[in-house]
Amino acid sequence: MAYPQSDGRLEVLAGLTFEVADGEFVCVVGPSGCGKTTLLRLLAGLERPTAGRVLLDGAEVDRPRRTVGFVFQEPTLMGWRTVEENVSLPLEVARVPKGEARRRSRELLDLVGLSGFETAYPAELSGGMAQRVALARALVHDPRLLLLDEPFGALDALTRERMAQELLRIWRARRKTVVMVTHSVSEAVFLADRVLVLSPRPASIAAEVRVDLPRPRTPAFFDDPAFGALARAVRAAIG
Amino acid sequence: MRRQHHDPFWLVPVALGAFLALWQGVVSIGGYPPFILPSPATVVHRLIDLLVDGSLWHHTATTLQEVVGGLALGTTTAVLLGYVLAHFPLAERLLAPYLVASQAVPVVAIAPLLVIWFGTGLLSKVLVCALIVFFPILVNTIVGVRSVGQDLRDLMRMLEATRWQTIRLLEIPAALPVLLGGLKVGATLSVIGAVVGEFVASDRGLGYLLKQGQQLYDTALVFVGIGALVVMAQMLYGGVALVEKMVVRRATCDVRRAT
Repeated sequence: MAYPQSDGRLEVLAGLTFEVADGEFVCVVGPSGCGKTTLLRLLAGLERPTAGRVLLDGAEVDRPRRTVGFVFQEPTLMGWRTVEENVSLPLEVARVPKGEARRRSRELLDLVGLSGFETAYPAELSGGMAQRVALARALVHDPRLLLLDEPFGALDALTRERMAQELLRIWRARRKTVVMVTHSVSEAVFLADRVLVLSPRPASIAAEVRVDLPRPRTPAFFDDPAFGALARAVRAAIG
Repeated sequence: MRRQHHDPFWLVPVALGAFLALWQGVVSIGGYPPFILPSPATVVHRLIDLLVDGSLWHHTATTLQEVVGGLALGTTTAVLLGYVLAHFPLAERLLAPYLVASQAVPVVAIAPLLVIWFGTGLLSKVLVCALIVFFPILVNTIVGVRSVGQDLRDLMRMLEATRWQTIRLLEIPAALPVLLGGLKVGATLSVIGAVVGEFVASDRGLGYLLKQGQQLYDTALVFVGIGALVVMAQMLYGGVALVEKMVVRRATCDVRRAT
C-alpha cells in the first residue's frame, strides 16, 4: 500500500500477509506511524491497496461493506441523535423495520451496559460511555468482522482497563472475528488470541505472538508470569 | 451556559414607556414641527388611519410577499449551489472570485438593472431579495457541509449508505445549525432587499409608502412605515429562531466531553 505524495509515493505497507481465523481475536501493535490505521482501513475497504488483495470469506474487499463493523478512535457519534438512535443507525440505513431495529438496539445497549441511557444525547455521556455506544453501533447489524482502531486510546487508564474487560465479555457473547489496533502491549496480550507486531514503515509483520492462555481472562491475569513473558516478547519484537 | 435568565416581566413595558416619554419630551421641549419630528400621539393617529382604510395591510402584504419569495428563491439556489461547492473544491476555486466580486457591487446598484430587465412588478423585487440573501446562505451552507467529520463520512460508507441517505441522515442534520444561522441573517437582509427594490420603482409596498411619506413631508407616515418594517423583520427572525429551537435539538455536536 502506497500513498501518492508531492515528492513521489509514500510506501506504508509492503510484503504484509496474514490470515485471521473465524472467531479469532487478533491485536495489531507496532511503532506509531507505521501504518496500523492504514492496514485497518484496507481491511475495511475504505482504501484500495495499490498492490495486493484483501479477502473476506474468499471474496475480495473492493469497497466498504456492511458485513464489517468499525469502531474509530473517537466515538464518532451523531450529536443530534439519541443514544438509541445512534445505535440503530446501521439498521436504519439497511432499512430494517422500526420495531425490529428498536428491539435489536435495546438488546445491544443492554449488552454494553447502557440500559437506561436510550434517550440521552452523546454530549451527556462520558468518553467511556460514548465509546460503548460506538461499540454497540458497530455490532447491531451483526457484522462478520469487527475492526477496532485504537478504540480506547482517548480514555483514561482506569476506564481503559475496564473497557478491555467489557470488550472481552461482549466478544464472548457475540463470538465475532475481531481485528484491533492498539498501542498498548499489555492490552493486546490481555485481549488477543494472537498479537501481530508490525515493523517500522514500510510495515510488514515483524513478529507474531500467539497468546495460548486460558479464557475467560480477568484482571488477575495481569499478574500471571506467563502474561509478563508474552508482553516482554511483544515489546522485544517492537524494538 | 444553560443558566435560565429570567428578566422581570415589567422591564420591557417600562423601557418602552420611558422611550415614548423621552420622545414626547423632545417634541414638547424642542417645539419641532410635525414634519420634522411628529409626536408619538401623531404617529399612533396616522397608524390607526392607515389600519382603518386597510392601506397599511395592503402595503405590508406586498412587501411580505417579496421578502418571503426572495428568501425562498435565494435560499434554495444558495443551498443547492453551496452543497455542490462544498463537495467540489475545484468548482469553488473557479467560482469563488466571481461570487466575492458580486458581493462588492452593492445591491442598490443592481436593483435598477433588475427593474429594467424584469419590470416594475413583483418579480424584480423578489430577485433583489434573492440576491441579497444568496451570499450569506451560500457561505453558511458550505461551512455547514464541510463541518461534517471524515469519520462520520467513513461510517456512512461502511454502512453502504446511498448518497441520499448520507444527505438525509448525516449532512442535513449536521449542517442545519449553521444553515439556520445564515437564514436568520438572510431573513432580515431580505427585508432590506424588498425596500431597495421598491425605492427604485414601485406603486405599492412599504418602501413605496416610505417614499410617498418623504415626498409629501408626511413624516408620521414614514415612522409608521419604518415601524411596520421593524415588526416584519422581527417576526421573520423570530420565526426562523423558533424553527431552529424545534429542529436543532442539541446544538452541540461535540461528543467528546470529559466526565
